Amino acid sequence: MKVKSEEIKKLRYFEKTKEKNSKLIKNTDEVEEYHVKLKPHSKWTKKKLEIKDSKPQKVIVKKKNSGKSPISLKNLEKHSRGDGISGKGVKHPLYAAKLQKKELKYRFAQNQAARADILLTENAGYLEVDEDHRTTCITQKEIVKNVDITAATKTFNLNLDFGPYRAKYSKNGRHLLLGSKKGHLAAFDWVTKKLHCEINVMESIHDVSWLHVETMIAAAQKEWLYIYDNTGMELHCMKKMDKILRMEFLPYHFLLAAVNEYGFMSWLDISIGEIAGHYNNHLGRTSVMTHNPYNATICLGNSQGVVSMWSPTVKKPLAKILCHKTPLSAIAVDQKGTYMATTGVDKSLKIWDIRNMDGPLQHYRLRSSAVDLDFSQKDMLAVGLGEVVEIYSDTCTKTADKPYLRHKMAKSICNFKFCPYEDVLGIGNSGGFTSILVPGSGEPNFDAYESNPYQNKAQRKEAEVKALLEKIPADLIALDPFEVVKVDVPTLQDKLEAKTELPHVRRKKIDVKAKRKNKGLTNIARKKIIKDKARKDQIMESIKTRATSNETKDGQKPSKSFGVLDRFVSKPKPNK
Amino acid sequence: MSDFQEQEIVSAEHDHLVSAIIKLDKTQHITEPTRNEPTNLSSEFNLIKSSNKLDLSKVVSALKDSAHHTTITKKLKSLDQGQVLPKPLEKPQAERIKRSTGYDATKEKVAKWDPVVARNRTVDFVSFPLHSVSKREHPTKVILSNLKSKSPLEKELDEIDPPAEVEEESKEEQSFPMTYEEMLEHRKEMAKLRAQQSYKAAKAKRQSKIKSKKYHRILKKERLKQQLKEFEELQEKNPEEALKKLEELEKARALERHTLRHKNTGKWAKNKLVRAKYDKEVRQQLAEQLAVSRGLTHKTQHSESTDDEADENEMLPDMTLAQDPLNPWMMKGLNKSNVDTDFDFGYKKFIKEKVLKHTEDSDSEENDETVCDLSSLKKKNYMLGSVRNHVHEQSSHSKIEHESKLSSPLGISKKKPMEKNNAKVTFMKQDRNIKKPIATSKWTVDIIKPNDSTESGEIKVAEVFDTFETKVAKQVEIKINKLRKNIKRLERSSKTPKVVKKKGGKGKNISNMESLMFKNKNPKPIIDEELIETNLKAPEDIPEMTKTYTKIIKYPSALAAHSNNNSNIDPSQFIEVKPKYLNTAIPSCENILDELDDDEQIVPKIDIEEVFEEDDVVASFRQEKQNEIDNDIPKEIDLQLPGWGSWGGIGVKAPKRKRNRFISKNIPKMPRRDENKGDIIINELKLPKLKAHKVSELPFPFTKVSDFEASVRAPLGNTFIPEIAHKKLIRPNVITKAGTIIEPMDEEQLLIKRNQSFKNEKILKLLSKQ
Repeated sequence: MKVKSEEIKKLRYFEKTKEKNSKLIKNTDEVEEYHVKLKPHSKWTKKKLEIKDSKPQKVIVKKKNSGKSPISLKNLEKHSRGDGISGKGVKHPLYAAKLQKKELKYRFAQNQAARADILLTENAGYLEVDEDHRTTCITQKEIVKNVDITAATKTFNLNLDFGPYRAKYSKNGRHLLLGSKKGHLAAFDWVTKKLHCEINVMESIHDVSWLHVETMIAAAQKEWLYIYDNTGMELHCMKKMDKILRMEFLPYHFLLAAVNEYGFMSWLDISIGEIAGHYNNHLGRTSVMTHNPYNATICLGNSQGVVSMWSPTVKKPLAKILCHKTPLSAIAVDQKGTYMATTGVDKSLKIWDIRNMDGPLQHYRLRSSAVDLDFSQKDMLAVGLGEVVEIYSDTCTKTADKPYLRHKMAKSICNFKFCPYEDVLGIGNSGGFTSILVPGSGEPNFDAYESNPYQNKAQRKEAEVKALLEKIPADLIALDPFEVVKVDVPTLQDKLEAKTELPHVRRKKIDVKAKRKNKGLTNIARKKIIKDKARKDQIMESIKTRATSNETKDGQKPSKSFGVLDRFVSKPKPNK
Repeated sequence: MSDFQEQEIVSAEHDHLVSAIIKLDKTQHITEPTRNEPTNLSSEFNLIKSSNKLDLSKVVSALKDSAHHTTITKKLKSLDQGQVLPKPLEKPQAERIKRSTGYDATKEKVAKWDPVVARNRTVDFVSFPLHSVSKREHPTKVILSNLKSKSPLEKELDEIDPPAEVEEESKEEQSFPMTYEEMLEHRKEMAKLRAQQSYKAAKAKRQSKIKSKKYHRILKKERLKQQLKEFEELQEKNPEEALKKLEELEKARALERHTLRHKNTGKWAKNKLVRAKYDKEVRQQLAEQLAVSRGLTHKTQHSESTDDEADENEMLPDMTLAQDPLNPWMMKGLNKSNVDTDFDFGYKKFIKEKVLKHTEDSDSEENDETVCDLSSLKKKNYMLGSVRNHVHEQSSHSKIEHESKLSSPLGISKKKPMEKNNAKVTFMKQDRNIKKPIATSKWTVDIIKPNDSTESGEIKVAEVFDTFETKVAKQVEIKINKLRKNIKRLERSSKTPKVVKKKGGKGKNISNMESLMFKNKNPKPIIDEELIETNLKAPEDIPEMTKTYTKIIKYPSALAAHSNNNSNIDPSQFIEVKPKYLNTAIPSCENILDELDDDEQIVPKIDIEEVFEEDDVVASFRQEKQNEIDNDIPKEIDLQLPGWGSWGGIGVKAPKRKRNRFISKNIPKMPRRDENKGDIIINELKLPKLKAHKVSELPFPFTKVSDFEASVRAPLGNTFIPEIAHKKLIRPNVITKAGTIIEPMDEEQLLIKRNQSFKNEKILKLLSKQ
């Protein structure tokens, strides 16, 4: 097996020559020998080997690519589900360990969700102007000039002859539904402008609504509620729901909520075709209605300036807010259900915190009373004033000075809606329908599981089934949507008490304190701020009054002097 | 000759007599045949039947101690000694020992699986089969792809630096179930086990044979001491554990109470009872027994307070007895005894006693009177409630003896037996707890106090023991006291022990009185007093406690909310949001001329709408809110109805007594959410349909509502969280690979590192308990 060293030196290792090999073999007499390196194929050994190999390199590797990128705290906070289990509530060590593991999984889910935010690549639109200019001045024409062609096609105007139109977008923002006072009902894909159907129902249409999919339309006609499919075929005539003024569709509950002329409210479960709730609200005729996406309650505004919130299972309002002293003209609730905007005939616009039932946070005075209000997905507020639509970008948290955009039309506004996932505002007016561009109004990133604007037929069917499976029962509609996950403490206490009365049962010790939500300032902190502010004001006022009183005192003395005759002036008795 | 004849006659007579006497015994005696002359023949009639066994000791003795045979004698002696094997234990006992050792061994064997089991229980999921490495042969392609001929460079390198030769693993097939080492180990283990077993057996046997009561007493005491020591240590180290132990003690006490051992109901006690009437000693023993029971059943908490009292009481009678000038017996006795006991010790005392006894026996008739006198005197003494010292007692008797000797030639009839030392500790307890156990029975039981070593200057071995024991007892007592103090400190609560004690005392007195009132038909020494059921949790207190508990449970939220209410502010009073005048566009139809520049602030103008603003809207809304609030307040419900003989109908007022009785009290007002929120009404309605969906009972591992709510706070669905997290969250606990045979765990699992490194002590402990 020996080869001369010279030979080896001469030979480069890649210069394989058959002769040499054969020579080698010959040298080894009969036995053939192969120097074989065994590649380990076991999972574990391989790993170990790799680690061994990479040990000196490890540091470098880490520097190059130190694993996953860190997640920003802000993102994490956004996906937080609240605090986990803390303390020694669970005494069984096995279950405590298991719950800890579960907690880790929740954290993993949170991290993953925060990480997935990287995939939200789209940015919201915006308007950029010079310093001495305002976005208010920018007209639609200018916007259209400066945007790309596909965006430009999103502004359009439909001149239709059948009186004031009401318009609504489907949940994914792809389809538009128009219903006119004179019976014109049209549904179409507004992006491609492909018409699904167009009919005249030969009756007045008070309101229209998409149902859970774009193949079904509900129209509140003069007498009854009709349901059509996307070809204009009449599917149902709901005679249980008559003379409806306004409708709202609650997509997660599959409920079509409506209020009629006589103040009857009804919730129609469209998945089973049954009425989930039907009662009179005793508010009289009101056509100011919206729904709160946060908790699926219906907000009704009445002529007394009171906004009331309704659930199908309770025949009393869950809450009432006195918003204006005059009749209400419009209500809008933002996507997260935090803020509510109301306008009354008194030309004022108020913003309320309806999650905490507090307010008003903002109070604006308009120069004319608003016809309609709507919040966009990015919390822009559109205010319809007769023939003008003004869009305010940040009205809730800050006090807005001036509108973000203003659009004037020659036709009086009937209603408008922001298109979901698009920077578009669709306005139904007396002369048809107008679609305008509002940069930055829509959510740029959509969740295709949630609502997909580019959905095909199969996906739609799939989504429909899934949505039906995840349907929330109407019973769960309450002011606090997280009521379901809370423990029914009073019943629990009753049960515990009943058990304590039993003779040979050991008393269970249960801490009934509910989970604390750490969101924003605590009630106490908020109240402290309020108090401080009030005290400051009071002090300021007292200073002012003191100053004025001093002045008056100074002024009073000489005015009252009559010289010698002062003695005859009756002196006021000193107060005790 | 005559003498000889006479002698013969006498001897004959004697023989006759002997034979006659022997004949009285009618059993046939076969005399042992003895060889009286040496013969070479051994006939069958001459054989010695009884034992043809060679008695080695006799042989050895035959060898005597000639120096010649020392080695042989030693050998023989050793043989003789080592030969006899101990008698094997009785079967049940042996079995028990076998079982116990077997249990220990198995426990150890099973315990090694604990970490594996614990880990499998806690881990997220277990996937079966456990062997992840598939035993399936790889296809030849794969194997071949793994084989690579060495490159020339490698060969070169090998030339320069030859790699370490890999030792070829010997592929011996294991035909044996165990290797040699294993076998050895196994054998060793078995041997160890056997040794342990035999050792334990021997020990048990040895211990069971010890009859000495003293030994057992000492053993018991030692155990007690050890326990106390351990307890103290535990208290220092781990107070929680100590508390637990204390609870155990308490449990033992409860058990004692429950079973009523150490009472007068046992067989032994009944036997004693028969004798108790006549024998004072027996009476004392019974009293002791009862004292033991009392000591065991007595609750430990308030014993300290009773201690002081008992001490005082203990001191008093002694004093009076010792220095009572009216009691000549005692006075003299005390003095005498000191003198007497000084000289009465050792064998002298013994002889003296013996002599006395002898004289007494011989002259019992004459003794009677004095005995009577003495007994009556004694009785008097008992009635005084004397608690006498052992020495006093003895001395008094000895003094009596002397006196009787002087007055009459006869001594005393009875001797006081030696006091039993073992009762000392219990006696002390008894002294503390009961002052007069006589009260409930006809009989008098006087407690004989243990020897005071200081008084008697004698130095006896027994007394040395006594003093030692008293010392031990005292130490124990001190320790117990310490313990009790600690316990007390731990369980100090609102109830003052004094009051409780008083109650207990009262109860006792009453019971005593009652027992006095009834006539006992068959008298028994029921010295037992009523159990002093005086703990911190007196029965009267318990319902109150529960009440408070329920109260607390009922309105925790209310209380919390009330505390919040203190800062009673109406934000609407403070924050009047000033309206911001927006420069909005004005619809063309209204007023085109009115349009202004954007910058200009609009001066508010009075509008018709504002003028006709309905002010009563606010008022009516507030009224509505007030109504709502009023409606929400729970009202008193009048449940009273006119009864017999009373007027009914409208306008009839029920008597106050009835009203108070039948009007259900209102529930305290719950604070409303909208209390400080201005013109907002929030109806906190109870939604019955929603309630049906809510959880109304906390599932098992949770004890806090907040914890349970936290555990269900996060969604699991893939529409809410990323797919990976969703998959992770819904993964089943046990994953089985389809189509594979799942074999039970083998010992390989013990060697896996992740199983070995499982270190959650709590879980291990929990699982090993099961």
